[in-house]
Amino acid sequence: MDFIRRSLLGQLARLSAGAALVPLSSLAVAGINEQPVRREGDPTKRYGMLIDLRQCIGCQACTVSCHIENAAPLGKFRTTVSQYEVEDLASGALATFMLPRLCNHCENPPCVPVCPVEATFQRQDGIVVVDSDRCVGCAYCVNACPYDARFINDKTQTADKCTFCAHRLEAGLLPACVESCVGGARIIGDMRDSTSQISQMIAEYGEQLMVLQPEKNTLPQVFYLGMDERFVTRPVAEAALLEVLDNQGKEMGYEFSGH
Amino acid sequence: MNSLAIELLAPRYPIAWYPWAVQYFFLIALSYATLWLAAPAIIFGKKNGLPTARLALLACLSATLVAPIALLADLHQPLRFWHFYAYANTHSWMSVGSIILPLYLMSVVGLTWMAWRPALQANRSAPGFLGFVSRWISLGTGPTPKILLVVVGVAALIFSTGIMLYTGAEVAIVKARPLWNTYWLPPMFVATGFITAAGLILLLNRVTQMNSLPVNSQMLKVMLVATLAAAVIAAAWVLGGMSDPQGSVAAAINSIRFSNSWRNTALWGSITAVVLFVGTLYVLVNKTKQPALHSWVWLLGLVAIHLGWMFRWVVLMDVQHVARNSAGFHHYGIPAGSSGLLGILGTFGLWLAVMLLIDLFVPWREARQGGVAGDVQLATNEDTSVVKGATSHG
Repeated sequence: MDFIRRSLLGQLARLSAGAALVPLSSLAVAGINEQPVRREGDPTKRYGMLIDLRQCIGCQACTVSCHIENAAPLGKFRTTVSQYEVEDLASGALATFMLPRLCNHCENPPCVPVCPVEATFQRQDGIVVVDSDRCVGCAYCVNACPYDARFINDKTQTADKCTFCAHRLEAGLLPACVESCVGGARIIGDMRDSTSQISQMIAEYGEQLMVLQPEKNTLPQVFYLGMDERFVTRPVAEAALLEVLDNQGKEMGYEFSGH
Repeated sequence: MNSLAIELLAPRYPIAWYPWAVQYFFLIALSYATLWLAAPAIIFGKKNGLPTARLALLACLSATLVAPIALLADLHQPLRFWHFYAYANTHSWMSVGSIILPLYLMSVVGLTWMAWRPALQANRSAPGFLGFVSRWISLGTGPTPKILLVVVGVAALIFSTGIMLYTGAEVAIVKARPLWNTYWLPPMFVATGFITAAGLILLLNRVTQMNSLPVNSQMLKVMLVATLAAAVIAAAWVLGGMSDPQGSVAAAINSIRFSNSWRNTALWGSITAVVLFVGTLYVLVNKTKQPALHSWVWLLGLVAIHLGWMFRWVVLMDVQHVARNSAGFHHYGIPAGSSGLLGILGTFGLWLAVMLLIDLFVPWREARQGGVAGDVQLATNEDTSVVKGATSHG
């Protein structure tokens, strides 16, 4: 074996051995699945939302206004209101329960560290957003969110979610869902500002407030007032009527899906 | 208070990972498992494993080449794959995987190229296109040093452990899906990967007409051990999870309790695994009937491939149907297009095409630990232990 080949072999061997260690060393430093550093947004603020369920009438105005404001594709929602009919088996009394759902802008968001390209990130004001120019559409975040708050937008083919209408907040406006809520059930604000309505309500109602799926340790920042603890995790319920069929047995309501 | 709730209104939550993901997890598991089955002979020089290694290398390279294509297709923005490298996020298992995968792919390509190179060199003077391709791929007539092959092979083995780790961890860390969120998922992927790989080699041993008896015996033993390992992992998952009401076992039991399709899946999976184990044990123990039985072990191979693919389908697709916030189950019909049936068939078709192309142009039956073209001619027909009386089914 001539010298050049031998030295080449040696270098190749070193290269292979070195390369072999790259993933191992990066594993050690990476702190895999830990939260990356927050960026952008106002570090002096922490946005949160309080939903006063006592005021919610389930009109879905928030669902519709959000859909229009953020141009979500048909059948996919950044926010929506789950509606339940609850029957007391002892008395037979009926009640309805409304549960507005949206991104919880968690303090420990499971969707953020999984993003392989840091397209989804948490701003310093706590809002979790997606950079749709960077997103590769791997949908890892969609699976990682326990609240089903994310979806793949069929038009952009990237991850999509509630942003607390960050674009409106920056313009001094309220998010579309808050603006359109007829009962004033949704209260958004800066939780670092002790004079804000949300801070005062958190101080006032304290332990009455509940968050969704607290056992997942995501530390949600959407708080529910007037919540029934049976609905904090996936409620035990009979399924919704998902498909409405027409006379020909064809499903109605989704004829525009994909457009 | 005893109450009954009916969910009146809830949106549909469609699946986010498509069948492409199943194809990737299936092929990449085949890739690393066949690499390890090829390793004793090709990397560490154990002569009695050479026929197995030759079949395993064919499976390994073809699966390694096609798997990343399926992975790419599962992205909704496949042309943005370069973002993985431009904006790498080491906090994400998927990003870690995107670094390991190309290193693994290159090391496997390097290893197989070196193992096939002496035979390719022997074909340089072949007439027509075969000779042209052989001259082109073999890159000169110089010898292929064994030590280089061993170094690249060991690197490939190291990277393959990275692949095992990341593919498992990537899914297992997702707390939002309790059925994924278990430490037992990554080892189960590996165990079923080896079951599938052993099954594939049994099948290839048949369809390539290699019909080697030692290959069958070795793969049946691997299958037995891997099936036992899978059973132990499944038992550990159930036993360990019994006490945890929030864990994946509780979620699994809840899913099955209210769903006929999950109950059927669990039953079918268990029956398939038992059939595979008992069948393998029967062939291994029944030494008197071995030649006759060995001509049918490719059927066990098919069962094993079915088991490995089905496990990935259930884990990656069916689990996505388990609703997290709404009542009932999400229904998913496999669409006919590229995100459904066409994708599944297309991946398998591509894989078959790659194997056929290799078979056309590469003398993979002569794979060895490097050397020169002259070694190949000397060593033809060294494997005489073929299955007798069983050449008519191929």
